[in-house]
Amino acid sequence: MSRLHPTANVRHAKPPARRLRVARAAAGALLLVAAASAQETAGAPALPAGYAGSQACQVCHEDIFKAFQKNPHQLVETDRKRGWENRACESCHGPGAKHAESVSAADIRQPAKLAAAEADRICLTCHQNQPTHAGRIDSSHAKNQVSCVACHAIHKNGPNGLVPHGAAAVNAQCAGCHTDVWSSFNRPYKHRLPEGAMSCVDCHNPHGSALPGMFQTARANEPGCFNCHGDKAGPFVFEHAPVRLEGCTACHEPHGSANPRMLTRHEVRFVCLECHANIPAPAPANASLGSIPPAFHDLRSPRFQNCTICHQKVHGSWVDRELLK
Amino acid sequence: MRLPAAVLIAIPLFAQEPAAPPAQPAAEAAASTPAESPAPSTEQWFTGNLELGYRWLTGPAGSFPTYRSVVDLGEGPKLFGVDFTILDPKKRWFDRLNANGYGWGDEPYTTAHVDASKSRIYDFRFDYRNIAYFNELPSYGNPFAPAGLSEQAFDLRRRMMNASLDLLPGGHIIPYLAFDRNAGFGNGVDTWLIDAGNEYAVPSLLRDSTMNYRGGVRFEYNHFHVTLEQGGTTFKDDDQAYQGVPLAGDNPTPIFGQTQMLTSLAEAYAIRGTSIYERALLTATPFSWLTLSGQFLYSEPKTDVHYIDAATGNFVSITSLLAYTGVSDLATGSAKQPHVTGSAGFELRPLRHLRIVESWMTDRYHDASFGLFEALFLPASTEQTALPEEQIVNYNQEQIDAIYDLTSRITLRGGFRYVWGDATVTGGVLNSNPFATGQLRRNVGLAGATLRPLQKLRITLDYEGASSDDIYFRNSLNDYHKMHARAQYQALASLSLTANFSVLDNQNPAAGINYDFLARNNSVSLYWTPNNNKRISVTAEYNRSTIRSDINYLDLPAFSPALSSYRDNAHSASSQIDVALPGYAGLTPKLTAGGSLFVSSGSRPTQFYQPMARLALPISKRATLNAEWFWYGMGEQFYLYEGFRTHAFITSLRLSL
Repeated sequence: MSRLHPTANVRHAKPPARRLRVARAAAGALLLVAAASAQETAGAPALPAGYAGSQACQVCHEDIFKAFQKNPHQLVETDRKRGWENRACESCHGPGAKHAESVSAADIRQPAKLAAAEADRICLTCHQNQPTHAGRIDSSHAKNQVSCVACHAIHKNGPNGLVPHGAAAVNAQCAGCHTDVWSSFNRPYKHRLPEGAMSCVDCHNPHGSALPGMFQTARANEPGCFNCHGDKAGPFVFEHAPVRLEGCTACHEPHGSANPRMLTRHEVRFVCLECHANIPAPAPANASLGSIPPAFHDLRSPRFQNCTICHQKVHGSWVDRELLK
Repeated sequence: MRLPAAVLIAIPLFAQEPAAPPAQPAAEAAASTPAESPAPSTEQWFTGNLELGYRWLTGPAGSFPTYRSVVDLGEGPKLFGVDFTILDPKKRWFDRLNANGYGWGDEPYTTAHVDASKSRIYDFRFDYRNIAYFNELPSYGNPFAPAGLSEQAFDLRRRMMNASLDLLPGGHIIPYLAFDRNAGFGNGVDTWLIDAGNEYAVPSLLRDSTMNYRGGVRFEYNHFHVTLEQGGTTFKDDDQAYQGVPLAGDNPTPIFGQTQMLTSLAEAYAIRGTSIYERALLTATPFSWLTLSGQFLYSEPKTDVHYIDAATGNFVSITSLLAYTGVSDLATGSAKQPHVTGSAGFELRPLRHLRIVESWMTDRYHDASFGLFEALFLPASTEQTALPEEQIVNYNQEQIDAIYDLTSRITLRGGFRYVWGDATVTGGVLNSNPFATGQLRRNVGLAGATLRPLQKLRITLDYEGASSDDIYFRNSLNDYHKMHARAQYQALASLSLTANFSVLDNQNPAAGINYDFLARNNSVSLYWTPNNNKRISVTAEYNRSTIRSDINYLDLPAFSPALSSYRDNAHSASSQIDVALPGYAGLTPKLTAGGSLFVSSGSRPTQFYQPMARLALPISKRATLNAEWFWYGMGEQFYLYEGFRTHAFITSLRLSL
């Protein structure tokens, strides 16, 4: 599977050649004249001082301008309420008159080259007050300076949004940074991400979540695992405490495991017994739950080595306190 | 005159920034997606792709159930992918409609997607997924039970559907509606237990479904946003088990002269659940230096339980010293779980280079349930059990971070998190109190840095160190150190490198526990696209992970102290090379080769190889013939009987519509 490198959206500009300085000045003048005449022709309102208008940008950045016509941000260009009518480019790149005049990359703001916080500030000027950002301040992406433009290609991806769509493309985007996590999916027992049946964002909300770990939620505040595993959600008459206290990852390794049921240990019994090994008194002061039942199963027998053969309702039972049925 | 004009026009082009060199990854990702919705260069009203083909398998050799548990691809004609976009030039019902579907034709993963939008009127999205879940592994069964090797097996399909409709998108007030459905249906093998003395592997029918309805309204203004949502859930679980012919259990030894035998069985669950939930989200930017956010989530799921089973045969209960010829169980119960989650926080920017992020969250629920269980033993004996249950969990977390931009290339972060909570759960049977209580108190120190010493180099460092006063379970996170380092380097315009290193060290030295856990994960990857991806591109990654875990436990049946040791030393690698072959008639064939491997040693040594090759031969500008080869091979050193290997061949025709 191919990857999207996180810096894929970052441009690396070269310093302008000195020998072109005079010629650039002439070209800049031409651009300004072109922009001014275009405004007059269209009868558009006068631009604030320092701004060149999107049509001036088009003269040099024709490819980006054309792609932008199918971009969701095109709304900024036409919507008077947003205050950037005919200046969508400059809503992110800042006033562009000087750049249009000098045609120098140094005279225009390039969000992809800014520090993450500064780049995000530009995006969040408009996008902060949206539901996707309600959990942003708790997200590790925001705290680790992963900028919006690390994932969102602002000029690309056409009309379907600024991020890849489809499971394979989304996974490629995430795997570009999280190579260590993605490699877990090379294991035989894993969630079906490499097959394209699922994507990272089915379980994680990259913008942040109400739950730790940027987990998606189900039914408002349940772990997102229950979006697919609805039969494990309960509430059960007889709950298995770790499911609620520590979540599914107390026993499962969702990214990939050596165990066919994606458990954290190679055999079921060790998952169970590592926890169910306290005698009630004296119980360790700092790990008081998980005392063992009065079972005398002979674990040397294969019959008892898979606890879940009998305790098959290990996620919680409707009818049996011992989680047998 | 033409020459000066041409020069004038050309000069700004030289002054532009060079085109973004790493554009090829995005293009490559799009190409790797079977049929990503295209963004047409011209405004054709209909564009799309269709890929039809056939898959052959050799074998699989080895364990077919394991093959199905891991790979599960089948033979036959397939619709591998279809996607299309319709632009309505008159914009009557929609401006644009996108649709796609992948993996149709008895495939294990089938998806469909439709979205349609009309500017400022509506956005509609519909997703459908049908995923096969098959699992039948002898290592999970009881080798002593007749047909027991299939115990805990299941073969089911889970169908998920989501539909959402946003009205007046782009405006300030956006109402929305959504509906989700998630249903599983299939067969399995359950275990029917008689006391603790015998077990029978019986076929079962698995059926459950959950439906979610929600609607709300979003208020999006320049300085604040509020989302209010109300939702509801219905749930049902109608699992059944049945057995119509006599079945011996796993314990053939006669007890009290009786050889135990299950003659017939009927078991049925009828679980019904409902839930209402509310969600309120807030973000606000009252000042340029302050951002506020908060969430309030409330749900109240309830479940009603009806259960019945009836079995006949020869049975013996050792605990009751009772021999009987039939048993019928009847259970009823209900459970209710009010669940509140709230969070609030702010980001304060008192100085240009300083951000202070404070967040608090709480998650608490109170599960109350009651179960009534009645067992009727034939010829005549009855047991009744009434069990009230309760589970209370309160979780709280407060965290403060200070993020400081030391320079434009160095950002430092430091913080502190305090986690605390309490839980009351059902106690073990040996407990004198029917309920057990636990506490959670953890202090976590946080530190991090983001470094950009070069424009093309980015390094992220993240550290978390914690000390816990109380934890719930013996193997919970206790005193731990967690560190993560990541470096990303754009060595050349055509070459990018990424390296990751992470470690988690968790210790619980309490007497009788002595938990010592250490996990390391290191990976490197490269992406190379020389000559702007015109001829070749290479993606490669390698990962090395190790887990070392030791913990004391009590081994049954004598409660003797023992050591549980778990080791996992894994190597994992994947690569993909795309080569554009010499073209003909303006068409360029493409060869792709690569795959992945996973090799581990330790407690469960495993090898899993997935090499592949693909040749795409365009036969016209709108048609391409594809040929693919995959090989899947898996083996486990301790479970040799669960290995398999197979070749898979695919030929397909991809048409651009």
